[in-house]
Amino acid sequence: MEIGLRLAVSLAQIAAVMGVVMLTVMVLTLAERKVLGWMQDRMGPMEVGPYGVLQPIADGLKLFFKEDIIPAGANKFLFTLAPILALVPALIGFAVIPFGPSLTIEVFGMQIKPFVISDINIGILYILAFASIGAYGIILGGWSSNSKYSLLGGLRSAAQVISYELNVGLAIVGVILLSGSLSLVKITEAQAGGFWNWFILAMPFPQIFAFVVYVISAVAETNRVPFDLPEAESELVAGFFTEYSGMRFAFFFIAEYANMILVSCVAAALFLGGWNAPYPGTILGYIGLDSLAWMENVVWFAVKVYFFLFLFFWLRATLPRLRYDQLMRFGWKVMLPIALGNIVLTAIAAYFFPR
Amino acid sequence: MNVVTTQPQPKPSLRDWLKTLTFYELLLGMKATLTHLLNYKPITLQYPHEKRLLPENYRGMLALLRYDDGTEKCVGCDLCEAACPSRVIRVVSAEVPEEPTKRYSKEYYMDMTRCLFCGLCVDACPVDALGMTREFEWAVYDKRQLHLNKEQLLAIGDRSYPVREKRLELQHPNVAFFNVAFKNLPQKEI
Repeated sequence: MEIGLRLAVSLAQIAAVMGVVMLTVMVLTLAERKVLGWMQDRMGPMEVGPYGVLQPIADGLKLFFKEDIIPAGANKFLFTLAPILALVPALIGFAVIPFGPSLTIEVFGMQIKPFVISDINIGILYILAFASIGAYGIILGGWSSNSKYSLLGGLRSAAQVISYELNVGLAIVGVILLSGSLSLVKITEAQAGGFWNWFILAMPFPQIFAFVVYVISAVAETNRVPFDLPEAESELVAGFFTEYSGMRFAFFFIAEYANMILVSCVAAALFLGGWNAPYPGTILGYIGLDSLAWMENVVWFAVKVYFFLFLFFWLRATLPRLRYDQLMRFGWKVMLPIALGNIVLTAIAAYFFPR
Repeated sequence: MNVVTTQPQPKPSLRDWLKTLTFYELLLGMKATLTHLLNYKPITLQYPHEKRLLPENYRGMLALLRYDDGTEKCVGCDLCEAACPSRVIRVVSAEVPEEPTKRYSKEYYMDMTRCLFCGLCVDACPVDALGMTREFEWAVYDKRQLHLNKEQLLAIGDRSYPVREKRLELQHPNVAFFNVAFKNLPQKEI
């Protein structure tokens, strides 16, 4: 009985988070095209619905009814598995993201944290691990398609994701040293009380370098412009998903956007204070609406996440694609030493000035 | 043996270092895109809904023209066929029945799949029977729909030039003499 109830509550939470994420993905597909269009003096999609706001629905319907093609000579099993392998890790990472304050409410005698599906004590490690599995989806998709373009895209993605995953991991270590925990909830709680406590600015050692390294590596890890070599449309048609169509293509597409949201959430939680407002406490709390303070926190989290998502679009509208050797040199010779140096300095600072 | 000589690289100054460290160039580019986002003035048109004003001398779909009284201008001289570089035009010329001095085009075909809209046929026509309209939306599902016959070409001319003979005064006097309906021919000075 107890277990069944717990399961039901968990499933409800998962459904809510999945719904929010999928809705955000839908909004993002439109927002990306609109923002990109506006930045390039175009209008973006304008035909479906007023100002083109129904474009994601039209796109979804189109992809749903498209013919599902498995190319001759493709490895059918891996070809089918790859999109799932790309999508599932992208969505599963949201399990440990705290979207709001870590309240506990009692429902039928159970302690429930409404804003995080499961507050496990190795949250960051869990996200990094699943992000690495997501790379398998891309590589296997590229290999199993039996196409030169796909294979090249998959290979590039393998090298790129591995190189930049390293930088992401090392950039996060500084934050972990300061907060003393791997749980995203605890890390966010350690940044409460004004923007000067956020880890991007926090004493004893501001993580601004780690933040820059993390953002750049996150862009590279999600295969976005200017690091979109795996799907470079001007050289590799569409890279690793050249041969995919219909819903399988949509899976890769959703996975890319879900990954964007995931790395934005992690960046917001680690460096920009997560759900904490840039001032101590909450305004709603000060004026006596303590029970509604969570709304303000959730809004702040959403604002931070959407800032990062906007940054993704902004970079895409601005920067040209890197060459492959530039990408590798930048990752290993610039980002990695900065991240390592940051760890050393943070460790020294944290040792002499413990928080 | 080719010896590659490299230019001595100028030593990076502190200024350059700072620029690299602060992503100065990247931020400059991002500022440019953000300015365009904030001063959003699209330069594109929503094509099927709003169309550009075409220039006066736009060279679009070809058409056969008529005089004001409805008779065809074409005299079946074949000059357009000779002038056409892509062999778009085929004219079958014939005498006007009961008027041995006058000829007309019994059949007139244009294969618009090959036309390159150079306008040489229009220039070649001695009686201004050909005109270039401003129609350009001629996408069809079947290429054979672009093989136009005389009736279709005349219909295009009728809908694109409802008012004709506007430029008579601009024409060469010799052309102007012939370029009128048969019954309106001015009296020749004897």
